[in-house]
Amino acid sequence: MNAPPTFESFVLFDGEKKIIIDLDTKVPNAALFTVNKEDHTLGNMIRNQLLKDPHVLFCGYKQPHPLEHKIILRVQTTADYSPQDALKNAITDLISELSLLEERFRSAIQDRQEGID
Amino acid sequence: MSDTFKVEDILKKISGCWTRAKMPFANKSMVTLLDYKDDTIKFVIENTDLSVANALRRVLIAETPTLAIDWVQIEANSTVMSDEFIAHRIGLIPLTCDYVIRNMIPNRECECDDFCSKCSVEFTMDVSLRKEGALNVTSAHLISSHPQVLPANARTIKRDIPKDSDCLSLFEENSGDVLIMKIRQGSQLKLRAFATKGIGKEHAKWMATSAVGFEYDPDNALRHTLLHKPEEWPKSEFSELLEDGEQAPYDYMKEPNKFYFTIESTGALTPSNVVLTGIECLRRKLSDIQTHLSFMQL
Repeated sequence: MNAPPTFESFVLFDGEKKIIIDLDTKVPNAALFTVNKEDHTLGNMIRNQLLKDPHVLFCGYKQPHPLEHKIILRVQTTADYSPQDALKNAITDLISELSLLEERFRSAIQDRQEGID
Repeated sequence: MSDTFKVEDILKKISGCWTRAKMPFANKSMVTLLDYKDDTIKFVIENTDLSVANALRRVLIAETPTLAIDWVQIEANSTVMSDEFIAHRIGLIPLTCDYVIRNMIPNRECECDDFCSKCSVEFTMDVSLRKEGALNVTSAHLISSHPQVLPANARTIKRDIPKDSDCLSLFEENSGDVLIMKIRQGSQLKLRAFATKGIGKEHAKWMATSAVGFEYDPDNALRHTLLHKPEEWPKSEFSELLEDGEQAPYDYMKEPNKFYFTIESTGALTPSNVVLTGIECLRRKLSDIQTHLSFMQL
């Protein structure tokens, strides 16, 4: 049996970096983010959030191979903005959305429990 | 107005390193609870993206951490089943871990040599039958070393199963415990086991959910699926159509924005806790990337 251990899909290898940034050599304000040990869960969510930003000219992601546990995200922005900042803002927006979602879920549960009592 | 205020407050709370005056692109989603039972929860999330709702669904299935038995030492086994078979079955028993899972760390990240109280919970079992007849070995025979980590019981999280149904008549007392095996006179099973923290991506025994229903567009107005004979399809429980046997007219401008979740817990966590840890898990994944990004800038 030569199946790779299942935890390889979420545990970084020794010395492996979580994110690698490669700047595009031919296109200004474009970068490739290689995010290790992540999949469509984050990839699609981040891509979608980046596309809402009017300063982002291009954004796309791929998981190059199902057995390689990484995603590659390409971001191109306008001149006064950098792909790194765009990505940071997108993630901040998503975190705040999830925090609000959590709070509203908590209060929905609380309302229900108070209604029962 | 109150919404914007809230988002900024939360943002200040969660990120000291990064603050923006406005969050122009963050969704302000709304949650409505539809049903809340002991083992299932139904709710709707509105005003969010398909990508976010799908990420939540994926995290609930594969990345919500729970406890499960991961290491078994068989000290005596004179039963008809092999050691491996028993170890596998014991691993699949859901363990209640609502109060402990947040404070535990995965075994492979722990500093201890093999197992300690930070990363594991010990279980023991010693069952034998001297009398004539047969005995059901169930999850109730697993003795936990932690008062809050116990094998989940289908009876204590009252499920609506008729008492005289066939599968349950196998159990002598209809106790709700998980049947591991049956032993006969003279057989003994004695073992020691450790439960550790893990996620469903590594092995299905760590899954917090046994079923996640995810639905948007119950009347197929978006035509994301092609129904060759719409009249033959049963209507969704969330359908808003009044007449029978038809799907909604195609609305090419519509975007999915209302997401119906039905979450069934394995018993390891209460349904509301499953969702809360799921959201937290997703947020931690994002903030992990955020931290790595800001370290790269330095």
